[in-house]
Amino acid sequence: MRLLLIEDEQRLAENIAAALRESGFAVDHAADGDAGSYLAEQDIYDTIILDLMLPAKSGQGVLRDLRARKLRTPVLILTAQEGKASVVELLNSGADDYLAKPFDLGELIARVKALIRRSKGAVSAVLRVADVEVDTVRQVVRRREVEIDLSPTEFRILEYLAHKPRAIVSKQELLEHLYDYDWEHHSNVIEAHVSNLRRKLNVADTEPLIETLRHRGYRLREDAL
Amino acid sequence: MRARSSITGRLITAVLLLEALAAIALIGAVTVHERKVQYEAFDANLRSNASAIFGAVQDADDVGDNVQLELRGLKIPKKAIYEVTDQRGVVLGSAGSVPTLRTEPEGFEDAKVGGRSYRFFVLSADRIIDPGVGGGIDRPVKVIFGLPDGHVWHEVLGEVRFFAIATLALLSLTAVLMIWLIRKLLMPIHELASAAGEISASRWQFEAPGSAKEYAELRPLATAIEKTIARLQHTFEQQKQFTSDAAHELKTDLAIVKSSLQLLSMKKRTAEEYERGVALGLDDVTRLEQTIHKMLTLSRLEQPQELAGQTCRMDMVLLEAVQQTRPFAELRQIRLESALAAAVAPLDSRDAMLLCSNVLLNALQHSPEGARVEVSAAGNDGKVLLTVRDMGEGVREEERESLFLPFYRGDVSRSRKSGGTGLGLSICKAICDRVGGSIGIGNHPEGGAVVEIVLPAAGEKDQPVADTTIRFRAE
Repeated sequence: MRLLLIEDEQRLAENIAAALRESGFAVDHAADGDAGSYLAEQDIYDTIILDLMLPAKSGQGVLRDLRARKLRTPVLILTAQEGKASVVELLNSGADDYLAKPFDLGELIARVKALIRRSKGAVSAVLRVADVEVDTVRQVVRRREVEIDLSPTEFRILEYLAHKPRAIVSKQELLEHLYDYDWEHHSNVIEAHVSNLRRKLNVADTEPLIETLRHRGYRLREDAL
Repeated sequence: MRARSSITGRLITAVLLLEALAAIALIGAVTVHERKVQYEAFDANLRSNASAIFGAVQDADDVGDNVQLELRGLKIPKKAIYEVTDQRGVVLGSAGSVPTLRTEPEGFEDAKVGGRSYRFFVLSADRIIDPGVGGGIDRPVKVIFGLPDGHVWHEVLGEVRFFAIATLALLSLTAVLMIWLIRKLLMPIHELASAAGEISASRWQFEAPGSAKEYAELRPLATAIEKTIARLQHTFEQQKQFTSDAAHELKTDLAIVKSSLQLLSMKKRTAEEYERGVALGLDDVTRLEQTIHKMLTLSRLEQPQELAGQTCRMDMVLLEAVQQTRPFAELRQIRLESALAAAVAPLDSRDAMLLCSNVLLNALQHSPEGARVEVSAAGNDGKVLLTVRDMGEGVREEERESLFLPFYRGDVSRSRKSGGTGLGLSICKAICDRVGGSIGIGNHPEGGAVVEIVLPAAGEKDQPVADTTIRFRAE
């Protein structure tokens, strides 16, 4: 999952980005409203974390422009402002959630995960595709009650696919959502990871869970048993 | 506890008191006048009675051409006392006992007869007998006629009583009318008070009621209240804004500290990672500390102070500030140029240093690398002028005032990234305001921003300043 963090406070941004990366997210950072708006409108993020007091363009402005372009990326607002009125106004103008500073990093991560789940239509933190369980909170994967040990990248690929069962996900899309701008993009790296993931998921007496569609991408088969 | 006094009460009391005084004076005058009128009538009565009696003196038809009194057909009041005597002192007729009177030959006199107060008229006239023959004979006759005058006083008192009752009735009526009238006239004061009473921290709107503005006496008060409220509201809003901004600032700094520690505790880390994390966390705490320190400084400076007569050589302080910031300037290869002439301002040396270093740092922060920053100090005409010029982007016209507001961050370059708390220039303004000076920022015609500080000069005015100019250059 790839996140956009728009926060002008350098140290706070560093800490949030580090925590989110350690939780398995790819994070891009914008230090002002203009840059944030530009990145947000690329529509490649699974959630945007937005500070309100920003130089150049306010957080409200970024949110308004994003929604005006009919982009539905979940937006979590970080605010140090008091008052119910501003919160109501924010939620009404298209924010999905908010956290008041000083906040708990753990809570921020949990809320981001919840936003992603909700936006992908998942009910709980545990995603189920066929006989596979993906626990997005504890980052554990089970197939037929057997726990499967995955690398962080493999888990993130599976998690992303599990959010979109039956849909075809291109390599480009996976790249965009799994890595931030700081990483080199190589589609053959993705191929290697997917191939490892497919091998690890193959428990005895089961069909391959991940389908490869040539030149189109990957798909999770829900009927695979 | 002192009883509450009311203007209405005082006005009514004062007016009624004056009215009562006027009434008493009037009653006195009426009494005097009435007495005069009554006595004039009484005296006329006495005189006419005496004349009638005199008229009754007739020729006695005797040899001696004597006179006698013939009272038949004459009505004499019952209580009357009279005595008629001829030139020889022979009493021609009398009633009652006439006291001894001093009046001669004619006039009125009061006297007591048997315990009663009487008023007498003494009439001396000549009775002419046989006027037809040889001019007649003069027979001088003296008539003393008196009547009790008790009833005169009675009548005067009756008249006065009527007058007093009428006055009292009128007084009561005017009192009632006056209470109503004064209440009505003072209504604008009550309306003004109730309008002013509705002002609260959450409701600052105040417009003096029209009734209060109609009166020349109330208009200055109403206008003064309006202006005071507007000023207070402005100050209150500023305070509110400051509190809100300060809270925002502190929360942000706190959020950084908290997130640094939480990030560190998210999982087990190596000793190096912990070390680095703790060092970063300490930096974050230091920044929080600085923000708090600056807030407290600003708060201290905004308190009114008594001038303790402290003075300070601003040129020396500016020179020291230049030397202190030199390492920072060298780091960014900025040249510091100063032209300093002796100038003494009524500032505490600590505040003076705060002022100079803040303005200088601000200039350095907004200077591009390798540029020049010029500082100058001069004193003349009872003023101290300090200027600091940078070669940066300058300031936008609409920002010139707001730059001195606490926590103001106009654009990206002035955001927290630049390391400031947004309080530096506010602190400078507070220092200048406190001694009746001013600080302003503008653009230099050749580019860059110029901060101009004007302070009142303190003492040592006569000292020659021209030859103490110091040229200083930091390479």
